[in-house]
Amino acid sequence: MADRDRLITKENLEQLVRSLLAESRVIAPVRSFDGLALEEINGSSIGKIELSGYRTVESFKSWLFKPVEIVSDYFGPEVGSKAPKLVFFGVRGCDAEAIETLDNVYLEGPTREAFYEQNRKQITIITADCTDCGKTCFCNMVGSKPYALKIFDLNLSPVKDGYAVEIGSDRGREIVERNSSLFAETTPEVEREKVVSRQRMVNRLAENNAAFKLKLDLTEILRRNLENKFWKVLTKDCVECSSCNFICPTCSCFVLLDSPAAEGGRRDKAWDACLKAGYTRVAGGANPRGKLFERLQNRYQCKFDYSHARQGRYTCVGCGRCIDGCAGNIDMRKILVELERQVPLTAKLK
Amino acid sequence: MENNPYRPIKAKIENVITETGNIKTFVLKPEEEIEFEAGQFMQVTVPGMGESPFTPSSDPKNKGSIEFTVMRAGAVTSKLHSMKPGEYIGLRGPFGKPYPISTFHGKDIYIVGGGVGLAPLRALLFALFHELDHLNKIEVRFGSRSPKDISYRDAIPEWGKKPKMKINITVDIGDPSWKGNVGLVTTILNDGDVNVKNAVAIVCGPPIMMKFVNKRLLDMGFAGSDIYLSMEKNMSCGIGKCFHCNLGHYLCCKDGPVFTWDQIKDIPEPW
Repeated sequence: MADRDRLITKENLEQLVRSLLAESRVIAPVRSFDGLALEEINGSSIGKIELSGYRTVESFKSWLFKPVEIVSDYFGPEVGSKAPKLVFFGVRGCDAEAIETLDNVYLEGPTREAFYEQNRKQITIITADCTDCGKTCFCNMVGSKPYALKIFDLNLSPVKDGYAVEIGSDRGREIVERNSSLFAETTPEVEREKVVSRQRMVNRLAENNAAFKLKLDLTEILRRNLENKFWKVLTKDCVECSSCNFICPTCSCFVLLDSPAAEGGRRDKAWDACLKAGYTRVAGGANPRGKLFERLQNRYQCKFDYSHARQGRYTCVGCGRCIDGCAGNIDMRKILVELERQVPLTAKLK
Repeated sequence: MENNPYRPIKAKIENVITETGNIKTFVLKPEEEIEFEAGQFMQVTVPGMGESPFTPSSDPKNKGSIEFTVMRAGAVTSKLHSMKPGEYIGLRGPFGKPYPISTFHGKDIYIVGGGVGLAPLRALLFALFHELDHLNKIEVRFGSRSPKDISYRDAIPEWGKKPKMKINITVDIGDPSWKGNVGLVTTILNDGDVNVKNAVAIVCGPPIMMKFVNKRLLDMGFAGSDIYLSMEKNMSCGIGKCFHCNLGHYLCCKDGPVFTWDQIKDIPEPW
């Protein structure tokens, strides 16, 4: 039987963070000049944690999958230090979904990615329901929710007397048991409040994206536009800065970079961006995706079409960071609406 | 890091054979035993420069040594071409799926290669030579830019003497010594070379050559499921994680590098 939710007051939640800090590093949202930013919390900054609002400016990706990390010094001793214990605190529904997609890429298939796996094992995920919605939030359009449904160890839903705490894993249950004095039983009233608040946020998201109504499944929209010249039009606004790639919580591409070093060389693994011209270039200069429109199209295919074949789900979680970060003001929602509008003009789905 | 997928195995260059003006074969002795099957590829580390993906060109049954036939094309291969016996490079892999050779039993094998595409096909030929009893016949069609660009010149006549084997080579531009066909490889693919209803075609070469050979094979009556194409993109990690080598929803390093035409025919411009 599933665990029943518990109730924790705001004061006791601070105590819980203090208790987590005794054995882990804690990364949490704090108020920043242009929204919520992630910060490593210490004993004196617990009060800065901000659980209201929506997703942070950046995602938790860089704490799981480092922007650059040494992965080999060739034939010398093995590299790689022990991963630290981390608590991701106040993760939103979209970012929890994003971690699930990273897990699918790195931990599924014939080979597990050892560096990601080492980091991932050390991470405790405590999610928090959104209480607000950003202008660019569109989780409702890609099947995500403004609250987490899985992946979390504990989830926090704000209610009048604090937070309703849902247990999502054995690790979450242990945390509750270890700190049992901080938790109380919930009441049917609290449970109702949680449901009502969540529904209010779902409605907010629908209102926020009322201008971007889609009838067709996103995979189908993409597949029916494979040969559409519209991609070339769209490219006029793209300046190939790749901020969409880097800020995306699910973009997982990387490149191996070798450089000379004592043992003959060292190999680093670094984030890479599929919008860059060099991404697919091969020796001698040939490039299967030499044109920018082909690369931009590939990014959309990757999120909404290929991802479906690979993972059985979209790998866009609707966080909207790519819209905020785009130097050319490209709005993914507008692209999807425009693609759907063009469907009758383009080739039938094979 | 345990199970580090990025750490190469050290391999000593035992011998370097100059095949043509820009192609060399490197005979390597790895410090750990490496087992591969024809069609699989490996990442070759040139220390301090980087990695490039290559399919071994030696007999998969060879123990102790492994060979790669490499065309000088970019930074990594230029540095590799300057290396001498006694120096060390690195190897990771093998990666990807091998040719399903056991399913070729009882069939005609039609092998079509172009340029340095003959390198991986050599490993396949060696593997097929061990299976000759189970095959109807092997027909090899190979295209080269000019007679002096043909690799394995000493070995090819020997292969042609094997039972059930026939090799036909064409060059784009001949020279006074050349007695063979002049023209693109598609000009030596003739109806009746093999029984297309009971044959597999295996193609490896530059993308533009594969595109036209594939079209010709379909015209000859080959089923898309019987045409095997080597789709080698710029594989980096080799384990299906970095996504550099995506071909539609496939990743060449993990799902390929060999695909049947049926698998990739719905991808716009897969070449």
